[in-house]
Amino acid sequence: MKTYQFVLSGLGGQGILFMTKILAQTALNKGFNILGAETHGMAQRGGSVVSHLKIGDAGASLIRAGAGDCLISMDEAEAYRYLPWVKPGGVIFANAKARAFPDARVAPYLDRHQITSFAMEAGKTAFDLGSPKSTNLAMVAFFAAFGHGPLDADALRETVTSMSPDPVKEINLKIFDTCHEQGKQRC
Amino acid sequence: MKQAFLLGNGAMALGLLEAGCQMLTSYPGTPSSEILPETVRFAKQADLNTVIEWSVNEKVAFDNAFAAAISGKRAACCMKMVGLNVAADSFFSAAYIGNIGGLVVISCDDPGPHSSQTEQDSRFMARMAKVPVLDPSSPQEARAMIQTAFEISEQFQVPVLVRPAIRICHARQNISYGGLKNNDTKASFKREPTRWASTPKFRFLQHKALNEKHVLIAEKFAALAPYNQHNLQPGQVYMLGIVTGGVPSAVVGDLLAEFDRTDIPVLKLGAPYPFPASLADPFMDACDRVLVIEETDTVIEYLLGDRRKTLGRLSGHVPMEGELVPEKILGVMNRALSDCGLEPLTHGDTPQEAFELTTTLDLPVRRPTLCPGCPHRASFYAIRKAVPKAIYPSDIGCYTLGSNLGGVDTVLDMGAGITLASGFWHAFQQDGVDKPVIATMGDSTFFHSGTTGLINAVYNDARFVLVILDNGITAMTGMQPAITQGLRVDGRKGNAIALETIVKGCGVEYIRVVDPYDVTHTIDEIRTAHEWALSPDGGIAVIIARHPCVIGLRDQALTETFEVMVTDECDDCGLCHLRFECPAMKRNPEKGKTEIDPVLCSGCGVCLHICPKDAVQCVS
Repeated sequence: MKTYQFVLSGLGGQGILFMTKILAQTALNKGFNILGAETHGMAQRGGSVVSHLKIGDAGASLIRAGAGDCLISMDEAEAYRYLPWVKPGGVIFANAKARAFPDARVAPYLDRHQITSFAMEAGKTAFDLGSPKSTNLAMVAFFAAFGHGPLDADALRETVTSMSPDPVKEINLKIFDTCHEQGKQRC
Repeated sequence: MKQAFLLGNGAMALGLLEAGCQMLTSYPGTPSSEILPETVRFAKQADLNTVIEWSVNEKVAFDNAFAAAISGKRAACCMKMVGLNVAADSFFSAAYIGNIGGLVVISCDDPGPHSSQTEQDSRFMARMAKVPVLDPSSPQEARAMIQTAFEISEQFQVPVLVRPAIRICHARQNISYGGLKNNDTKASFKREPTRWASTPKFRFLQHKALNEKHVLIAEKFAALAPYNQHNLQPGQVYMLGIVTGGVPSAVVGDLLAEFDRTDIPVLKLGAPYPFPASLADPFMDACDRVLVIEETDTVIEYLLGDRRKTLGRLSGHVPMEGELVPEKILGVMNRALSDCGLEPLTHGDTPQEAFELTTTLDLPVRRPTLCPGCPHRASFYAIRKAVPKAIYPSDIGCYTLGSNLGGVDTVLDMGAGITLASGFWHAFQQDGVDKPVIATMGDSTFFHSGTTGLINAVYNDARFVLVILDNGITAMTGMQPAITQGLRVDGRKGNAIALETIVKGCGVEYIRVVDPYDVTHTIDEIRTAHEWALSPDGGIAVIIARHPCVIGLRDQALTETFEVMVTDECDDCGLCHLRFECPAMKRNPEKGKTEIDPVLCSGCGVCLHICPKDAVQCVS
């Protein structure tokens, strides 16, 4: 099969690695090969963090600019920063106010290249549900509502269930279900 | 068999244990740092008796592994590529002497550079030292190559270098594993002075023997599929072929597959040196031109030796610096294909349009910065306050980021904070100038390469203040344990060594220990130390600024926390977020004053002492 390529971006501390692991584990459970690329060291201290993940058979870990199928960003500015990685016809999910995203300066570019975008205030939702550090989960759940790529919502939810330690399992699933529902209403 | 989503560094850890590596030594450095802890993890899971240590520096690591290898055991050491510079003396010598048990050196390259002072290509170090080198294209291949590296090392009694680039080390891949077993080879050392302690006369003979080994290894490499292979069709000739290896070979493979191009043959050289000429020559003969795509320098390009036929860095087709990311490789291939009259892979450049668009968006500049609550921030603030007109030599670690606070003027290499300080002192002293110099160095770097420079500075009567930033951990590379804490990587207890003891042993008489969180006191101590250093009976003054790392040792670092707020006294001078550069302090443009971000604030309370208007206060 052709690979499905995720670009995940955000700020240090938002849990990009955990987000990557949820997607990766779900892909593994479905029997796909996976290959990803991460940021470590000095580059990590800067605040802007990106992770690449290819589902399917690939040789190289980095996604080529212009070849990513899907960008999920936990920060609005970090969504724009990694815009060049999204292929024509790709899709963007951002933690941002739905009405204000995308920025008017960006919208014509997205239209020209048939890139669709969806935003929700994932950080705010996670905060309101009592788990401010779960923006990552919120974004995965939101993404899952739209049926892009080979990872379906049920499989992602199952991974969240199995990867969440008992004390936070309930809240994590609540965040997942809430944000998934928000996504569903936007489909 | 288990399956896991492992870092390339984890895959290599498995490779080491699967190959029966009995001793692994290392000094941390991005992108190599996770190899050793991952090896510890797998060795523990399988209850192996592998000897694994964080060594004090890379040369020490190499020597320890070398001793195990000449005792007949399989041994390895790993490091980042600039670490191999530190180990170079041993590395070069060991190539002549050779080994009994396999000796594998893993030197991780950082093209970009992302977290290093150079972009040097470890394959060139291998060429210079006359050590065979393997260059993996994926985590899985890196794991398998380590087995090959041990076999070659033992067969030819020569160390073998494995050179994974950062996109191997910090790639993640699904890897299946299981069934690790101890290697029960026992240590034995047979005295043989003409080999292990050879004089120049015997060195000449060893050099000759090494050169003879290379002829045989080159033949072996010519048949070393799948690492070295090409896909020429018999009898066919081509307008362009691609010669590649390592990470770029994976990108080239993906691109040719994506765009369904079977008209371009590829020679992959995952084991480029000793150069497998009998594999490469027919490839060169079958192609009118060849495009060389390799990372980071021109190793294969030089070894091919036919410059008129070769497109690459020397012809200007491939950038001379920076990481060969996939979009760059696509551009390189498109240009070379066009130059040879062939159809390029793509037309037009969507990403370029987007890159240009993003530059118009005023996206926040997020330069690397010290963490909220980092004790180094307080130390650099105090240094600047105490002796504002000094030269501030420093070097490699989290504290390099003190440059953002104006507290770091030079970064040459590990240990250069001290050696540049003495050099500056003598250079100005020659002109009769008592130039103030305040050097900084982290605790781990001090053990790595600070002591020789300090002894030299004391002996030659330099005068400066050295502030040792002692956060009790090796932070930048991922929180490896510090020698001062006496903990070892596998959890066993080591013998802790106090910085004070070492500093005193280097001949320094003036030693003070301060807590940088107590900023006022630290400023006073640095000022007093500076005055003493320049006094007639002065010398080198050492201040140990001791406070645990706020990330790695959080509980010890924040025994007392402060909830702080910014009052209306704030006049928007920006010192706290621009000069002091605390990430938790941000300008609110609407209110025209600073605000504290409660999520980021560590509660260290240092900011209570730095506001010129005294506008940072505890929430009562």
